[in-house]
Amino acid sequence: MINRRHFLAAGAALAAAGLVPAGRAFAATKLDVFTNSDANISDWLANIVKPAFEKAHPDYEVNVVIARNGGLDQVAQRALAALAAKADPQMDFAEQYDPNLPKGAIEAGLWVKFDDQLVPNFAHVNKAAIQSPYSMPYRGSQVLLAYDSTKVAADAVPKTWDALTAWIKANPGQFIYNRPDKGGSGKNFVVRAIHEANGRDPGAFTVGNYSKEEAEKRLAPAWAILNDLAPSLYEKGAYAAGNAASLQLLSNGVVSMVPIWSDMVLQGLAQGAVPETIKIVQLQDLALCGGFSASVIPTIAAHKEAALAFADFLLTEEIQTSVLKDLGGFPGVDWSHLPAALREEFAAVIPASIPTFPEGDWSTALNEGWYRNVAPTIARG
Amino acid sequence: MALAAPILVEARRFPVGLLLVAAPMLLLVVFVLVPAASAIVSTLTDPRSGGPSLANYRTLLGDPLSRGNLFFTLGSTLAVCGLLLAVCLPVALYLRFSSGRLPAFVQSVAVFPLFVPGIIVAYALIRFLGPNGSLQTVLDAIGIHGFRSPYLTPAGTVIGLVWEGIPLTLLILLSGLAQIPNAAIEAARDVGAGRLAILTGIILPLIANSVTVAFSLAFLGAFGAFTIPYLMGPASPEMMGVFMQRTFSELRDPAQAQTQAVMSFLFCAAVGVIYVRSVIRSRRRGS
Repeated sequence: MINRRHFLAAGAALAAAGLVPAGRAFAATKLDVFTNSDANISDWLANIVKPAFEKAHPDYEVNVVIARNGGLDQVAQRALAALAAKADPQMDFAEQYDPNLPKGAIEAGLWVKFDDQLVPNFAHVNKAAIQSPYSMPYRGSQVLLAYDSTKVAADAVPKTWDALTAWIKANPGQFIYNRPDKGGSGKNFVVRAIHEANGRDPGAFTVGNYSKEEAEKRLAPAWAILNDLAPSLYEKGAYAAGNAASLQLLSNGVVSMVPIWSDMVLQGLAQGAVPETIKIVQLQDLALCGGFSASVIPTIAAHKEAALAFADFLLTEEIQTSVLKDLGGFPGVDWSHLPAALREEFAAVIPASIPTFPEGDWSTALNEGWYRNVAPTIARG
Repeated sequence: MALAAPILVEARRFPVGLLLVAAPMLLLVVFVLVPAASAIVSTLTDPRSGGPSLANYRTLLGDPLSRGNLFFTLGSTLAVCGLLLAVCLPVALYLRFSSGRLPAFVQSVAVFPLFVPGIIVAYALIRFLGPNGSLQTVLDAIGIHGFRSPYLTPAGTVIGLVWEGIPLTLLILLSGLAQIPNAAIEAARDVGAGRLAILTGIILPLIANSVTVAFSLAFLGAFGAFTIPYLMGPASPEMMGVFMQRTFSELRDPAQAQTQAVMSFLFCAAVGVIYVRSVIRSRRRGS
């Protein structure tokens, strides 16, 4: 018979035994990983990367924080202020951020400078993807054209910008792109028009060469191109409110062609959310822009060790394979560091180089200029 | 003597009442009034010299795009308010003067949007009203073609905001109608007043206050709306909520965003005055 006292003592002992591992779990370093990417990326981080990382590093716990629509800019500004005040920036890792922001962050020493001492796998990163040593590219994607193969004949699929604009005009109401500030697919369509108006040279636009006069001179002809297309767009000049909204209009059969992120459409096709009749094509004269998503770590991060371990983990074969298979993205590491079978399977999708457009002032000028010069041109009636 | 007694009670209760309102008032002051005041002051300050200046407001009102967005917001909001009253007043009258299961069902359907978050409303309406959506499918099936979806047009915003605003407007109108004594209507009927005469001569004057309150709350809700115009409205012109967010986070221009916010606040404050006055009026009447 167990009497009351024994029962209580046993209970207390059990509780104490239970507390020890619980206490250890509680003490796990909690890593705040911020992301401003679309839901496909934040879901992937929370459902695939987080459990895998926590399994490989039981001492660390990942807290995925979604900070879309400018939220991450404010977090980064807070981190810069914390650097000056020698305080905790309350952020350990940003899944994707431009290290040139906030202005002067690199000079102030806000972001960690990556090398293979700090992050051993950094040595495997595709050299073409590295735009700055202050950020670590780990996944890429590119905007391409997605079209409905039941409505666009194989021989009518445009392969150049001129063919694309001719197709849009010949098929009024069948094309839509989203507002440039609401999603990268529409933005990079606008960027392609800017490149077209400026000698198809992506290198002509850099973070450093922005000036107001230069922007007006170079962007004005692009607005003319886009305004020329506006009456032939869906609803004579309607613009979707995001990447997903464009893809939905295409999937519903409302329009026949949209610019879209490669990872979004590939993932949609793999999961069956996008009908199989949707095909993709890239322009051959100059591809639509894309880019590698590069992560940053504040030098003053409270859990910097954990953040560096997380960065290293993102570049492992396990996660890089997942980027390809689960995300439909391009790997951030060089192809030689991925299984050969995978290399062959995806060879057709992966471009040799991806044109890019600088963030910061040029992007702001693009958004502002588009809203002033292109968005109001609506010929409804 | 009869007058003195209640005043005495008031005086004794005074400190307790003050204590009770102190906490929410403090929160209001610290988290709403102080930031709002500092925002207003910063919009009135010249960024270079630091002295007082109207430059931010000159920029806002001198810019055709910003001005257009402001007037578009005002126009859309007034359209939403007008449609809301036009839709809700007949429903409210029906619910007030009938009884049984059907009115109870109508009321529960009309109040349903109250429990649906704005973003769900937006996506549901896109699926329903959008191109190749349910409505178009039904219309096509019964032989009506040429449906133009309001998705991504100003009408999309207005329809979405009306749907979202129905419950609150309806509830306010119903509470106003509930205060009309049946006796007044029966008396009018006894002396031979027709339905229209009862409506215009008795009901409308008695619920004028509720209509004002319903109008002002609908106005305040629609003017600052974000989710519905963001997802259902056109790229241009924009409602102020969407425009402010874009100015702040995409154009990285907090000064202009604040100026836009203060401008919106001025419009809402004007309507707020109407609301407060009608609340005071109904308090004085003791109803």
